[in-house]
Amino acid sequence: MSRAVAQRQHRAKVQVAAGFGALGVAILAFLIWTPWQTFPDPFLWAAFAAAFVYFEWHSVEVNDRLFASPSIMVLLTAAVIFGPGSAVVGAVAMAALAVATPQDIRERRWFQPIANFGQLVASAAAATTVLSLFLSVGVPTGTSVLDSGLWRIAIGSALAAIVYGTVNYRMVLFAVSRVYGRLEVRPWSHIGAILLPMTGMGFLGGMLGATYLIIGTAALPLIAVVFFVGYLAFESYARLREAQESTIRGFIKALEAKDLYTRGHTERVARFAEMIGKEMGYDGTQLERIRWAALIHDVGKLAVPRELIRKRSRLSEDEYQVMQHHVHFVEDLLDDVDFLKPMIDIASNHHAHYDGNGYHGAGHEHGDQPSKEACILAVADTFDAITSTRSYRVALTQPYAYAELRRHAGTQFDPEVVEAFIASMEKSGNSYGSTIELTDDEARSIAEEGLDAMRKADQVHGRDFPLAPMGEGASDG
Amino acid sequence: MAENRLHRLSVVLFFLVTALATASTILLFQEGDPWLNVALWAVTIAASHALSVPTPSGKRINLAIGPAVAAVILLPNVLAVMTAISVGLFGGWIVLRRRSKTDRDADSDYIAESVSMVAFGLVASGILAALADTALPLAWEQLISITSGAVVWFVVRALISAWVGTEREDLASRYLWLLALEDWTVALSIFTGGALFGMTWTEMGLWAFPVAILPYAFSHLAFVRYHSTRITYGQMIRALAQIPEVADLAPRGHSSRTADLAVSMAREIGLHPNQVTELEYSALMHDVGRITLTEPAILKAGYTDEDIARWGAQIIAEAPYLQEVSQYVRVQHNPYRRPGEAKDPDVPMISKIIKVASAYDQSVHEMHLSPLEALERIHRGSAYDFDPEVSGSLRRVLVQRGVIAA
Repeated sequence: MSRAVAQRQHRAKVQVAAGFGALGVAILAFLIWTPWQTFPDPFLWAAFAAAFVYFEWHSVEVNDRLFASPSIMVLLTAAVIFGPGSAVVGAVAMAALAVATPQDIRERRWFQPIANFGQLVASAAAATTVLSLFLSVGVPTGTSVLDSGLWRIAIGSALAAIVYGTVNYRMVLFAVSRVYGRLEVRPWSHIGAILLPMTGMGFLGGMLGATYLIIGTAALPLIAVVFFVGYLAFESYARLREAQESTIRGFIKALEAKDLYTRGHTERVARFAEMIGKEMGYDGTQLERIRWAALIHDVGKLAVPRELIRKRSRLSEDEYQVMQHHVHFVEDLLDDVDFLKPMIDIASNHHAHYDGNGYHGAGHEHGDQPSKEACILAVADTFDAITSTRSYRVALTQPYAYAELRRHAGTQFDPEVVEAFIASMEKSGNSYGSTIELTDDEARSIAEEGLDAMRKADQVHGRDFPLAPMGEGASDG
Repeated sequence: MAENRLHRLSVVLFFLVTALATASTILLFQEGDPWLNVALWAVTIAASHALSVPTPSGKRINLAIGPAVAAVILLPNVLAVMTAISVGLFGGWIVLRRRSKTDRDADSDYIAESVSMVAFGLVASGILAALADTALPLAWEQLISITSGAVVWFVVRALISAWVGTEREDLASRYLWLLALEDWTVALSIFTGGALFGMTWTEMGLWAFPVAILPYAFSHLAFVRYHSTRITYGQMIRALAQIPEVADLAPRGHSSRTADLAVSMAREIGLHPNQVTELEYSALMHDVGRITLTEPAILKAGYTDEDIARWGAQIIAEAPYLQEVSQYVRVQHNPYRRPGEAKDPDVPMISKIIKVASAYDQSVHEMHLSPLEALERIHRGSAYDFDPEVSGSLRRVLVQRGVIAA
């Protein structure tokens, strides 16, 4: 990352932190110095504040777009119990406590806690104000919350959760776009996918508050169980999911490490593929599928004898058969893993060309257009092949790789994917490949050396697996 | 043999439950209590036997305890509660028969279900009646009684399923008991739904339904996903472990046969369920170091079994969640004791089991020995290589499988 970019980011961070921090302080000051609200029962408040902080620090990643945390439930349960006269001040005080996670403190981050502070305080204040208004407007003073109707709690807390989610999301979006200059505009369906569970949790949180008003203190253990068992269930699921992914990552990393030419290849391709996917507006399960496909796209080669992979000259018919045999066997193996089935299909098809030529995986005909995911994987794989050193040539530069991808866009590669890749790579500010600027001719002659061997192999076998033109060599298939 | 015994026992329990149901229904009518509520709860309990959900232990649990908890709170006395539960169990017999895959499953489920539910009803409504005269607020009396009842229910249920499982599958009852205890999160979740419904129904009316159902529904999503991820995680490890075999660097099928045998031995010995899972992963991957043999330089230089174990451990260690597995694989060839010394406490049971299971599989499938000769070979190595405790377990597993005579 260049220094200019870093400086611009730092300036933006200071601005965002100052703005968010000031907003949070202003809300707190307003609540302290106006007689609008009274502070709730301190013991009850402390119990809920502890739960809120705990959950806020330990949110669970359910999938790539959904972070589940029961903290919104805790907030609204507490707000209903405190009643419309104390809900806002009680909730905002809870939110203000949760700003700096232990990790932030350990790593001495300053931006995250300040931004979080403003964001949490503002969303808590907005949500509980909505709830308080819902519980009190049009209700004669002195009426208890229960007498004014459970529907007020039900609808009020569901709405409050939507407000909480929206304010929170908007503020994160604002901060990210200011600091990283990237405005991810998500379609409504995706925001809906985040807000829907939140609405449910908000509703349940409000209703749990109502059970306290009915049952009294005996409801507290039951409410705690609801919070913690739900949390535990999601947490153990998320941990297992993470274990699964880190296992395959670790495995591939360890196996690739043995070979100088493939070291880190899978990890980089997975990163590039994910970048392209994000740029093209994929998220959640789709993004996860692309990442997994990238992680397994080369697993088959782990079973191939190294001497075949490193071979500089073309493979004999027998050697070629051995290689294919091994690759396919591993694909069959992974096909037994239920959730990998769709990924295997993408991975085995990543040598198919956009125009229908090229090598197609099992179940696909010559002339079929490969899926978008396969096209993404193809671009990511080729870029890494061009910009890293292989047995038959040295690494080439990033601009050369861009030119090469563009030259084959429309035939080998999907033009949309190529442009999305280049755009996201430029935004990330990272660069790969050789830094030695070669003239076009020099680069081409280096590449031609590698290409020569491949073209011969193509002619022999009448197809271009595992050796696609340009950048795809005997060590990549 | 054992199956017949279980079937007879479940039939006996069914008659006892029927007798209890009849007697309490007659008593209830004599007392002139309102019977409609009792009948509604009985039907709900019976029907909820049909709804079963996956648990972390990989088994299933049905929802009948939920309505039973609510019934204790909402029905007026011990008699009404016991009528609802026993009539519910009478219906549950029919429901379980219809939805269980096999009669064996229905028998085992019914034994655990009927005894634990009756125990729950007696304890919970008994304590509730006993607490009635104390100065405690009513809500706390209710909470204390249903919680004690639920604890008794859970423990009795776990004990009985451990016993039934031992009868059915010759597994160590300690293993099954620990396995049943793993289900506490799901059980607690169902219990809480019932408790919230019972304690809020009179005030909240229909709103009590979402309050009771939603907490469980949220967790349910996670339980189900956990369950399926656990299965695919196992499948994935199995697939990765087979890469050396596919590459013709290790004998086909050796790792999965070894894992299969090792898991049976571990269950027979009574290892903790978490350890059994770790053992399964370790055994599947015990030869994964052989993937290194694609490297010509290594083939030229030569290698030992210890090298393979070490390379395998290094590969596995790259996965942050498999650190223990990596350790078990690393020491899989260590002798359990050295000449003139006592047993080496640093060699974990899991590694000793893998060593025995792998050696047995090798003897049978590569050296083509008969099962008895293979066992004999392992017994001969029991001075240093194979722990007699483990090879004893191997013998028992082989007898159970009918591979060798008792």
